[in-house]
Amino acid sequence: MKSRLTRRSVLRGLMGGAAVSVGLPVLDMFLNGNGTAYASGAPLPTRFGTYFWGLGLTDTPAGGTRWVPGKVGAGYEIMPELEPLAAVKDKVSVFSGFRVIGDGRANLVHWSGHASILSGIAPASASRFDGPSFDTKVADAIGTGTRFKSLDVDASISRQPVSYSTRTGSTFASPDVTPLALYTRLFGPDFQDPNSDNWKPDPSIMLRQSVLSAVTEERKALMKGLAKDDQIKLDQYFSSVRDMENQLAVQLQKPEKCEACVVPSAPREMQRGASVELVNENTRTMAKLLAMGLACNQSRVFTFVHTSGASETYMAGQSKIYHQITHDEPTDAKLGYQPETSRLAGLVMQGLGTFLTELDAIKEGDGTLLDNSLVMAFSDTGYAKIHAIENIPIFFAGRAGGRHKAGQHIAGHGDSVTRVSLTAMQLAGASVGEFGSGSMKTSNPINEVLGART
Amino acid sequence: MRTGRRAIAVTGGRALLTKIAARGRMIAVVCAGLVGAAGLNAAPAAEKNSAGAATKVALRRITESQYRHTIADVFGPGIKVEARFEPERREDGLLALGSAVLSLTSSGFEQYFALAGSIADQALSRKDRESFVGCAPHDPSKADDACARGFIAKYGESLFRRPLTESELQSRLKAAALGANQSGDFYGGLELALASLLVAPDFLFRVEMAEPDPANAGQYRLDAYTKASRLSFLIWDSTPDAELLAAARSGALHSQEELDSQIRRLIASPKFEAGARAFFADMLQLDGFGNLVKDPTIYPKFNQSIAEESREQMLLRAVNLLVHRKGDYRDLFTSKDTFISRPLASVYNVPFASKQSWATYTFPEDSERSGILTDIGFLALNAHPGSSSPTRRGIKVLEVFMCQATPQPPANVDFSKVQDSKQGTVRGRLLDHMENEGCSGCHRRTDPLGLALEHFDGLGQLRTIENGMPIDVTADLKEVKLEGAQGVGEYLRNEPRVPACLVRNVYQYGVGQKTVGRDRPYLAAQTEAFAASGYRFPDLVASVASSAEFFKVVTPKKASPAPIVASTASPSPPIAE
Repeated sequence: MKSRLTRRSVLRGLMGGAAVSVGLPVLDMFLNGNGTAYASGAPLPTRFGTYFWGLGLTDTPAGGTRWVPGKVGAGYEIMPELEPLAAVKDKVSVFSGFRVIGDGRANLVHWSGHASILSGIAPASASRFDGPSFDTKVADAIGTGTRFKSLDVDASISRQPVSYSTRTGSTFASPDVTPLALYTRLFGPDFQDPNSDNWKPDPSIMLRQSVLSAVTEERKALMKGLAKDDQIKLDQYFSSVRDMENQLAVQLQKPEKCEACVVPSAPREMQRGASVELVNENTRTMAKLLAMGLACNQSRVFTFVHTSGASETYMAGQSKIYHQITHDEPTDAKLGYQPETSRLAGLVMQGLGTFLTELDAIKEGDGTLLDNSLVMAFSDTGYAKIHAIENIPIFFAGRAGGRHKAGQHIAGHGDSVTRVSLTAMQLAGASVGEFGSGSMKTSNPINEVLGART
Repeated sequence: MRTGRRAIAVTGGRALLTKIAARGRMIAVVCAGLVGAAGLNAAPAAEKNSAGAATKVALRRITESQYRHTIADVFGPGIKVEARFEPERREDGLLALGSAVLSLTSSGFEQYFALAGSIADQALSRKDRESFVGCAPHDPSKADDACARGFIAKYGESLFRRPLTESELQSRLKAAALGANQSGDFYGGLELALASLLVAPDFLFRVEMAEPDPANAGQYRLDAYTKASRLSFLIWDSTPDAELLAAARSGALHSQEELDSQIRRLIASPKFEAGARAFFADMLQLDGFGNLVKDPTIYPKFNQSIAEESREQMLLRAVNLLVHRKGDYRDLFTSKDTFISRPLASVYNVPFASKQSWATYTFPEDSERSGILTDIGFLALNAHPGSSSPTRRGIKVLEVFMCQATPQPPANVDFSKVQDSKQGTVRGRLLDHMENEGCSGCHRRTDPLGLALEHFDGLGQLRTIENGMPIDVTADLKEVKLEGAQGVGEYLRNEPRVPACLVRNVYQYGVGQKTVGRDRPYLAAQTEAFAASGYRFPDLVASVASSAEFFKVVTPKKASPAPIVASTASPSPPIAE
């Protein structure tokens, strides 16, 4: 909040009159001997994030799979469309053969897939989820100690900002869509360098808190007499106010030192365009910023969109968009798949490869930021030509601080996608035992990838 | 007086009311607390007016443009509003309908919080601060409750669109005193109080209230402040002004005579233009231009200023014809008069001689450009980054101007017949869709209108040839054959569903509720009146605003276990093409 109530003017006021005592938690943080925890004994935090890309991967009924490894278990082979993940393969698990079970609800194209994965419920209508997306549950569980409970990023350069993170099912997160916006949010004027040696609390923050208390005092009166739907809306409003209060409270505490945190410089304005080349470039820039935001302990949870469900991305100079090509391109009889579609899928996967590489580039303790993260990457469809919601490609990347037994291929054999979602929540540290509804209700995580709890 | 009253869930009729009461859904009133004697706006009439059991019937998030207009109206046009607003949501073609289902996310609130601080800072740093505040503090380095109270009550009423309750006032007074004492600056305290008004849900949402109707026992009516807000947001896209609030406070707004006189005043105001722009920006779906992208090798003339100015061109065309000239709405589809800027002139390939940034321009009689569908804004927005899209254009013509939604494409379509079409025109490829059983139902409706616009490429530039083949722009609708953009324009001009759709949109936009079957007679009567007026837009707005249905109380949805919605066709998502 920009204000004439600056640190200096407030301090001046304090000296001249009413004194306010500011508690300073003294937390001099250094890593312990073996590099897995802070000196205080607190383990390095586990981060959780989702990564979404549109239009699935190629696995045709004609048998021409381009992404499902033949080998199940550890040491799977790198299939052509997985090539961009080769560098981090040992930290990535591949989930194939999981599906959405609609229980009679229609397959809403480019919507039912990720809506089910995230909310556990096959949606009744396109553009809404019938429940919250599970990343918000993880954020509630592990995201309250940092400045931002969650960071939402959209690299897709779409007409409208794209996010599939929702608490109500109808209001979706408002993502940062340019590198500069993300940079400003993370490292702008309100950023406090955790490694600064002369950190002092900013007393004007307490005044800003009073702006919010005037609002929260009215909560009870406002909630009364509202219809259910409006109560849900106001509930979310007040939960957003609480997140802001939390942000201010965090800023009044001396931040823990983070060895890996190096404050980046402001990014240049990017070129706007929806071609997959530009989207991948944008993905790289935003992944770098996001990774540093995580390393600097600004947040522990994120949602990242590379391209949307029925995305408009395309190969530069081509008149047809990827989406159109997935539907129109004939299957090559000899190859058993659509060659142009598969080429685009490979390009889109380069975005994920780049993203993970950026997380893996930050050293943290005796591993990397990616080792201390769990990224669940997934798409809206399996085989896009027919809008399949079977065999939707899903990946877990990162070792979740050692909990994820990474580097495996898990074959789902038609099990519900919610099993994968439930496993992700548990690996991320949310105490959730059951997820989904109807035939997609499950309390059965995928034990093969669950390591010992640290 | 609001204190100690009890409210009851609003219902449409007495029987239901009794049932609900019996179920124990009696709930205490919302706005407890007296409006204090020192409150400047706490006129006794306000208390009389809110007598009886009041209840909330709707919560509508204010839109970005409503926010901006409100700030400009309340604090002056010099205040800079720099923020990224939370995305809005389109439901059944209108953001106004989406705003009734939206809440605020954390990052959205973060933005409003920062913005509130910035606006409060600017407002209290101004040179004429004392007259803006309305009083001078005894000691500018200390808190002054009396002066602060007047300030908070005055601006609180403008922002909340109703007088503040005593407890709302008290909590802001507390913030003001804390801020003043800690910063040693009375105005610093006011800044906090003002910021807290600007982040309150009562400002960021329009809380619509109903009260028992004294003329009809057992019935409810919107309270006068809610009526005032509906009027000012429909006609001005902004908060009610002092005069309208006064009419609400006295209760005069409940009389038809006062209502009509306020409507006349609002429409006569220059702010009506802003209101009309906001309506057409919503209805024409002009929110996608900020992020519109085109492939630079295929459309080298495209850039961000082309995108923004093509949006502005559509609004200038609509506002000039419908507000300034009070013209016939149907001419929107055939008129050759438009406005043009230097960058746009290069895309239209016409000369631009004016020294102004915008100049009027009339396309020659034989030009293919006629009407709003041939504005590059419409053509470029409803296309792909590297090509046109007859399907998308067709869908939008039906949706925006005829209120005809196109259902979701079926999931499991056999595309095997669809062949790659790097050669020839797009028509051939779409004919495959039209012959495919799963696709034909919709594509037969959507594509012909779009195919008739195929003389305009993905940026809206004129062309007659695609991949070396002449483009055929004839179209076969069920009942008519038409040719080219002029043909589409003529078709829309004479299509009775077009004015009916405008009527429906104005009504839905104003009330924030989707129309249903039983609204049909009302909409038909309004459409008839619209035709009788010669299809004059200001008359339509006045007629809708003056009708009882505009203020009708709609029962809020009862509690349901999960927010599951009916599976109506949604206009936004993906289209197979």
